[in-house]
Amino acid sequence: MEARVSGLRDLYEDFVRTFGNVLFAVCLFLVWGVLTLIGVVVEQGLEPSAYFDAYAAPVARAIVRLGFDNIYHSYWYVGIIGLILLSLTVCTFKRVIPARLPPLRPVRIDKIPLNASIAIPGTVDDVRAKVDAFFRKRGWQVRERTFDGAEWIFADRFNWARRGVLIAHLGFVIIAAGATIYWARGFAGEAAIVTGQTFEIPRTHALVRLDTFGYKIQPIATKSGMVYQPIDYVSHVTVTGNDGVAKHETIRVNQPIDIDGTLYYQASYGFAMRFDVTHNGARVGSLSDRTLMEGEALEIPGTLKSVQYARFVPTVDRVTGQPGPDPRVNDPAVVLNVFNGDAQVGAALVPLQTWIDLGGGWRIVPHTYLMYTGLQYRYDPGATLVGVGAFVLLAGLVIAFYFLPARLYVRVDEGPEGTATVGVAATTVKGYDIYEKQFGELTKALEGNAWTSS
Amino acid sequence: MDIVLMKLALAAYAIAALALLAYFFTRQPALRAFGAPLAVLGCAAQFAQLIARFEITGIWPLLNLYGSLSLFAAVAVLIFIIFAIRYDLWFAGGFVIAIAALFLAYATTWNEGTMPAVPSLQSYWAKIHVPLVVSSYGAFLVSFVLAGLYLVRYYVERSLAKTAAMATAGGQASVAATGGWLASFPSLPQLDVLTYRAVAVGLPLLTLGIITGAMWAHEAWGAYWQWDPKETAAMSSWIAYAIYMHLHTRNAWRGMASAWICFASFFVVLFTYLGVNIFIHAGLHAYQR
Ligand code: HEM
Repeated sequence: MEARVSGLRDLYEDFVRTFGNVLFAVCLFLVWGVLTLIGVVVEQGLEPSAYFDAYAAPVARAIVRLGFDNIYHSYWYVGIIGLILLSLTVCTFKRVIPARLPPLRPVRIDKIPLNASIAIPGTVDDVRAKVDAFFRKRGWQVRERTFDGAEWIFADRFNWARRGVLIAHLGFVIIAAGATIYWARGFAGEAAIVTGQTFEIPRTHALVRLDTFGYKIQPIATKSGMVYQPIDYVSHVTVTGNDGVAKHETIRVNQPIDIDGTLYYQASYGFAMRFDVTHNGARVGSLSDRTLMEGEALEIPGTLKSVQYARFVPTVDRVTGQPGPDPRVNDPAVVLNVFNGDAQVGAALVPLQTWIDLGGGWRIVPHTYLMYTGLQYRYDPGATLVGVGAFVLLAGLVIAFYFLPARLYVRVDEGPEGTATVGVAATTVKGYDIYEKQFGELTKALEGNAWTSS
Repeated sequence: MDIVLMKLALAAYAIAALALLAYFFTRQPALRAFGAPLAVLGCAAQFAQLIARFEITGIWPLLNLYGSLSLFAAVAVLIFIIFAIRYDLWFAGGFVIAIAALFLAYATTWNEGTMPAVPSLQSYWAKIHVPLVVSSYGAFLVSFVLAGLYLVRYYVERSLAKTAAMATAGGQASVAATGGWLASFPSLPQLDVLTYRAVAVGLPLLTLGIITGAMWAHEAWGAYWQWDPKETAAMSSWIAYAIYMHLHTRNAWRGMASAWICFASFFVVLFTYLGVNIFIHAGLHAYQR
């Protein structure tokens, strides 16, 4: 039993020693940084085949097997952040708090690299009072303590700022908490809504109807040719939330709307198509009434054939007859792919209102285009917390970087011939080099001041 | 008007860089007296150029690579000037200004004329986020040069110590023996502190830049964090400097090791700033052209 307890204690101590080591934390940071960069270099969220096309087979296999195709949601990534948080917690209690908030205690002044010894005329008590007043006047927080009969003066500057690190660390933890809340309770999705249609958002059951979609594109002549710069995308929608009341709203890029706490954003747009399908001259209603999104196909009944609406071409170049660069609808056409079973047997650029013959008496006419809007929606109950955490982190950084807490240890002892010897040493939370100059100035001022005012 | 100012800035930087590089090696005060005002002039011309461009076009001039890189050069030089005045750092100016001038010259190759912003960039966040991030990169450039100088001094001192030890067994290495150019460098601890101070400017700016970027993304794209290549790369830069900052709290790692980390971190910044756009085209952050 006892052996087990002591074994557990050893384990705990090893754990604290490892996770409380800043170098270990730095290694975790390094792994975090490298994983993050892998996600930048390796395009995320593609089909496995895309990686095999882009990389040598062993690399592609590693990417897919190790989850590097979706790295930010992989166990690696979440795990490393978990370890960082663990290490942060252990370090904060085992290292940062003892190092940054040390108790007042006596030191060997001459063992501290920043030290000075100043002889000042007067009795020990007089000089101590003078030293005390000197620091107070300069805005230092002065505390006097007696240890083993020796009287010590402790003077602190920016003592409150010792908590800067703790605040920065807390900010990081709050951000992680906010992100976890989203992960546990939030959701996001996309909705493509064709003009005139109503879409029911899964989960929230809000109804969104697209009344009209508009976009504005400006052609601009640049040195490298004509550029068509999008200026505005706008969806006019009718939304019905929990209260059952239908409201008209406008969604633009940068101007999302909020329905019952879920935000809806303008993300994309596109063109849906209606086709007139005829068989031996007779309109086939079941196919002609459908609205197709890009990528969808019509199966021709009684055959293995299907026609895929591959994409919309807003402008066909009059000279070349090929798709032109202008995204505004001038001379529209569609790209259709024809399949026989799984095999593609043809592709064509078909202007609107013209027909292609599929054989067997089947004809298909791209008839009407309808714009659709791509909305992104997101419910993120952790967003506020992430925001708060970010600002706490920032405040912590500013405090830790711009306020340098310093502590002076001062002892006044009897000196030769009616003088007292003032021993001063300084420590800061960032080593000694950073304070060397100020310490020199401070001790010089102390010396000068004590002499002149006596 | 703005083209004239740009040419003036480039010319001023080029001459200032040469003068201050010469000052670095010779320590002739005249060279500093000549180079420093030129650096200030170039920096002022650059800010005037950005304002002029805004006045002429009515469009925030930082949303393309041309504007962004010119702001980067301007801020790097501005932060350097503030450091130089405060900590007497003119000796390092040649390097900072030469690098800034190279970036500025590169920027001019991206001048495509004026163009209105695409919808997602038509946001006041763009006006806040871009300058913050670019300013942090400016500060990191200064820290990069200071860390580089730390390493130069460190390795020169070390080789001098070795030579001296070989020449007179146990003899003292004399930095003054190098003819003075190194002798009037700040000491290694001073350079270390200066590097840390430059990072202390850059890291909060980058943090705030990432935060405002997230706020903007929240508004424009519906999620404050999308794992877009550019924002994730910015996070890697942030992590790199967080590593620097933590190593710098340890006595054993403060100095040479942390200088190397700081030096290397700037390459992560460069990758974030330019590499992502050059090598990785996907993503929401492609600069408009
Ligand atoms: C693995 C997670 C982390 C661990 C284990 C950790 C640990 C530490 C330790 C031990 C110190 C030094 C305290 C001292 O010796 O006085 C420190 C300082 C600091 N940490 Fe962290 N930290 C972590 C993450 C972070 C993060 C994410 C931030 C946000 C940027 C941060 C910000 C700071 C700041 C600002 C300082 C003060 C640096 C200075 O004064 O130069 N830390 N940290």
